[in-house]
Amino acid sequence: MTRPVPDEELMMLVRGGAGDMLGVLFDRYQVPLFSFYSKLTGDRAASEDLVQEVFVRILKYRRSYRPGTAFRPWIYKIARNAHADQARRRRTEVEFKPEMAPSILENDRAAASQQEALLHRALLELPEAKREVLLLSRFQGLPYGEIAELTGCPPGAVKVRVHRALEELRDVFLRLGGGRATNGRVAGVNHGL
Amino acid sequence: MDCDRMAKLLPDYWQGALRGHDAEFVAAHLQVCTACHELVALGERLAELPPEQPSPALRERFHAMLDAYEEGRGEASHFLPGVSGGWPWGRNWMWTRPSVAIGAAAVLLLAVGFMAGRYLSDGQAAHAQQEMAGMQSELTNMRQLMVLSMLQQDSASQRIQGVNWSRRQPKADPMILGALLHTLRYDSSVDVRLAALDALSRYGNQTQVRQGLTEALESQQSPLVQVELIDLLVAWRDGSALDQLHRIERDKNVDPAVRERARRAIDQLS
Repeated sequence: MTRPVPDEELMMLVRGGAGDMLGVLFDRYQVPLFSFYSKLTGDRAASEDLVQEVFVRILKYRRSYRPGTAFRPWIYKIARNAHADQARRRRTEVEFKPEMAPSILENDRAAASQQEALLHRALLELPEAKREVLLLSRFQGLPYGEIAELTGCPPGAVKVRVHRALEELRDVFLRLGGGRATNGRVAGVNHGL
Repeated sequence: MDCDRMAKLLPDYWQGALRGHDAEFVAAHLQVCTACHELVALGERLAELPPEQPSPALRERFHAMLDAYEEGRGEASHFLPGVSGGWPWGRNWMWTRPSVAIGAAAVLLLAVGFMAGRYLSDGQAAHAQQEMAGMQSELTNMRQLMVLSMLQQDSASQRIQGVNWSRRQPKADPMILGALLHTLRYDSSVDVRLAALDALSRYGNQTQVRQGLTEALESQQSPLVQVELIDLLVAWRDGSALDQLHRIERDKNVDPAVRERARRAIDQLS
């Protein structure tokens, strides 16, 4: 099978004026970016606006993309800036409102969904900076080096932040009634070892 | 004490970067410490949250923006024949920021003047054209690679996307046409075969395509695709397909609706 064309090569073509190549990058990144924004803000409509804004900015600033630059940290940097600008425009911190969270289902069959909904709620109750670092590392799977580049913190500091944010998430999750996060998944803890 | 050590190790554990004694320590500690175990489980649950899907409207908005950009780029290049590398401030920018459209237009005119001065008054138009030709060729290769790569994906929707990408080729490319004809004959999905046929329908003037379609008619099993193929050959007034149409018309194993279509096609082409 032919190898997928690397993001960086596509972006170099976009930089050179091939706007249609941005369509491939859109296909690759629209869901991760939307998921990131959606979990960060709890607002689907605003998240779609932000994804659109990211791609408008890529076209607008495409000449600033330098050969050899890793694409993923670059696009996430644009994504963070777009979100920061939007937050400044709104002049309000996104505050958790119960209606933002997915509804909690009552029956046993939906127990997993209920835990998932509680996790979303707990995430939205964290301060935004902590929510962001957790989402980038755990949900988006970005390496600490990339997060360090994005946030301007040393990788060691990013690791500490991730751990502290996770501890805080656990406390909120339990307070909201999330119960045992383990949920009988003791065997699962050996993953990655 | 052990939990403090865990706090230092867990970030690397998450990313699968622990080895040796550290990895063994974490595994052993998780067996005995509920608090750390709970933290790890929560972290894993976070990683497993399903991605959220945006609405289809997002894709439409994106493509509207891209079309506006491409259109703006095309218009800008009229000012400077031979330089079609695109402008940083295409119509998309004005489209998203209507209040500054006039300013943007002024910037665009200045930019055009600047570029024209840079390329033309220095007598470097030929060099610029050569550069652009190089980029165009690179772009053509990349489009070709994208299409060929997507047509080989496992997922039918990705293969259809590959077919759709082939439509962006400004002119017929024998390698892409060959890949589309192969898809038309051998793809396992009827939808993908139909998409390939639709993409090929623009190339009625290509011998390779006409011949390929007649061959595809011979091996095609799906009545839906057979009917579409016959209709297209009739639309092209392609008499070379008559032998094949006669065979279909006589073949009792072929779907009756297809045989009827073949019979009508024979009348029209004879």
